[in-house]
Amino acid sequence: MRASKSRSAGLDRRAALKVAAGAGIAAAGGIAMSKKARAATTLNIWTGYPELVPYYKSVAEAYAKTKPDVTVNLLSSSLREMEQKLSAAIPTGTGPDIFDIGSGIAIKFIQAKLLDNNPPDVDAYLKSGAWNKFTVDWFTQGSATVGLPLLEGRAQMFWNRAMFREAGLSAPPKDFGEIMAFAKKLTKFDATGKMTRSGISMRLSGQGSGITEKFRFVLEPAGGTLLVKTASGKYHNGFDNDAGRKALQFYVDVVQKDKVDDPKVPHDADAFANGHTAMLFREAWVIGDIKKKNPSLDYGVVPIPRWDASGPVKGIIQPWGIYVNGRSRQKDASWDFIKFLTQPANAFQITNMTGWVSARQGVDWGPLLKETPQFESFVKPPQDIVLFSDPILPFWDEIQTRIADRLPGMFIDPALNGNPAKVAEAIKSLATICDNVLKQAGAYGTA
Amino acid sequence: MAARVSESVRYWANEHFSRGNWRIVLFVYIVLAPVLLLFGYVRMVPIFESLILSFHKWDLINPIKPFIGWANYEELFQDENFWLSLKNTTIYAFSVVILSTLIAVPLAVFLAQKSRLSAIYQTIYFLPFITPMVPVSIAWKWIYDYNHGLLNYVLSVFGIPAVAWLTDPGIALYALIIMGVWKVVGYNMILLLVGIRNIPSTYVEAAAIDGASGFQRFRYVTLPLLRPILLYVFVTSSITAFNVFTQVYVMTLGSQSAPGQAVRVLVFDIYQNAFQYFRFGYASAEAVNLTLIVLGLTLIQFRIARNKEGMDG
Repeated sequence: MRASKSRSAGLDRRAALKVAAGAGIAAAGGIAMSKKARAATTLNIWTGYPELVPYYKSVAEAYAKTKPDVTVNLLSSSLREMEQKLSAAIPTGTGPDIFDIGSGIAIKFIQAKLLDNNPPDVDAYLKSGAWNKFTVDWFTQGSATVGLPLLEGRAQMFWNRAMFREAGLSAPPKDFGEIMAFAKKLTKFDATGKMTRSGISMRLSGQGSGITEKFRFVLEPAGGTLLVKTASGKYHNGFDNDAGRKALQFYVDVVQKDKVDDPKVPHDADAFANGHTAMLFREAWVIGDIKKKNPSLDYGVVPIPRWDASGPVKGIIQPWGIYVNGRSRQKDASWDFIKFLTQPANAFQITNMTGWVSARQGVDWGPLLKETPQFESFVKPPQDIVLFSDPILPFWDEIQTRIADRLPGMFIDPALNGNPAKVAEAIKSLATICDNVLKQAGAYGTA
Repeated sequence: MAARVSESVRYWANEHFSRGNWRIVLFVYIVLAPVLLLFGYVRMVPIFESLILSFHKWDLINPIKPFIGWANYEELFQDENFWLSLKNTTIYAFSVVILSTLIAVPLAVFLAQKSRLSAIYQTIYFLPFITPMVPVSIAWKWIYDYNHGLLNYVLSVFGIPAVAWLTDPGIALYALIIMGVWKVVGYNMILLLVGIRNIPSTYVEAAAIDGASGFQRFRYVTLPLLRPILLYVFVTSSITAFNVFTQVYVMTLGSQSAPGQAVRVLVFDIYQNAFQYFRFGYASAEAVNLTLIVLGLTLIQFRIARNKEGMDG
């Protein structure tokens, strides 16, 4: 009985010792794990361009070779969804460490003080000559800079060489007059009069700001602009004028008078890649799309032509930024990562892998151009091109979208065909919509 | 007045508690409490939040939300897009509710007859209702395609020229209505079928003995007894139809799609104002209006059904 009791007591002691030892090991392990966990850094990156995911992964792998304690988590969704996610997550402190987004949303975060100014080393890096002045200015708010440029959207004219040859045309059009003349020769109809191939694919239907954005590809060469900034820092429409009327007339002629495009036929990049259209104004990503869908397509890319012989060649440029969340707990690591991300070698990768053109200067594009010469006018645009861009305004998307709501109806409205007065009336109504949004935002002014 | 209220409360208490069943009533409320609380949290609270938000100006990002009184409502009633979307939504909702019911009633009558194939037909008609809206919308976008769509192919077999179902602004809304009817007709049919099967056969048999024809039996026996189910179908279909969004969003995406303005509906307009323009106060004002419209329509439908019952009864 005593022995038993004693054994029992001994077992208890042993058990207690085991528990204590176990607890000690667990605690030590926990401390070690905790130290390790603290040493390891996980950066969460959100992107509105799912096609950039392989690029981010590739850069993250390269970065991990120099910083093995840093891992990257990626979340991607469509651009519109990402804008919504970020708009809800950033103010509530649940956002990522790093995100890429357009200026229209970024400016809202900046105004709400949810993004920090660039630290001195990042500021110096941005101004080091790695980007052109236009791009640096784009990321400058007052006296500070916010974010770094990741890529830039430039629209150019894609033209199908084989179709041009077939139509007896040896070179792409030099002005909008030639665009229409060439398009007439390139458009095809079947025996019933149904269009089977458009001469040029314009954005004629659907919804969203893209319709207005494409309209600007015509409006700007014609001499107009969507918004004019006044000396006092206010804005008013810049297209209730001859240029605006010419641009809308061009669209109406394309659809109704000259019939070189039709809302019913296939459109956009798909149409160009599959030979349903001869000309298209679009960004560099279409090159990547063509590689996937129809790699044998014989085509060229040139800047969108001037309106007429005396006009300038105008080209849109839309820098796209990458930002560090002002509430990130990994700010230093995040800045370090995006500096790495924008190095020339990675800048090359983004274009090579996705078709989107890096905004970085000093990149050796030779290998890319050797393989895909169509990139030339994107990565080495002509020096005489006059750039235009989107103003960095929180209500910019609303202006473009509200105008886009009306444009498709105007393109096909028979009342506008050959009726300059009606075209002028239509343009005036668009200008009113534009100015009303400005007034609503308290940003309207003419002086 | 106070005496009347007191009398009513006493009557209610007597009805519920004096018979010794208060334990059952208490049990019922306790059992229902979690669901009611959840319903209140996920349904009622957002509605009241939206109501409050509709008097503020807020962009979701900026923490400052100034109170602006009725300004959102004043702007809303001058907004062309709001009136256009209200018009389109009304056309869509009334068309879908009326057409889907008109098709569902004869289908239900037909399938109520005992047949071995009845279950198969019910499944076939019900399938669209349970298929998620996004894939359905994408499929219909292909069906409506001008050049390679199934619908135009079928029309071509009969020598009918191709129709620009989506890209023609004058037709696009009707294309959505066709799809909307196709989506809900099976659901309405099932509800009506249940209603028909619950009608005691003695009524129909008595009418038959009295010499009523098949149509007369339907008109004077089946249809009046189906009224509660029809009311339910009208109410639920109207609410669903006024909330149309997904198919509009999908069918206006991309260059080869419906012009946004031709098919602009209320929820799409709310979505655009809230999640695209980030005007949450304004979008909330619009949402409040939608709620009031749907609520008003539901009350009208209830009132009509009650009056009809009174007249019949």
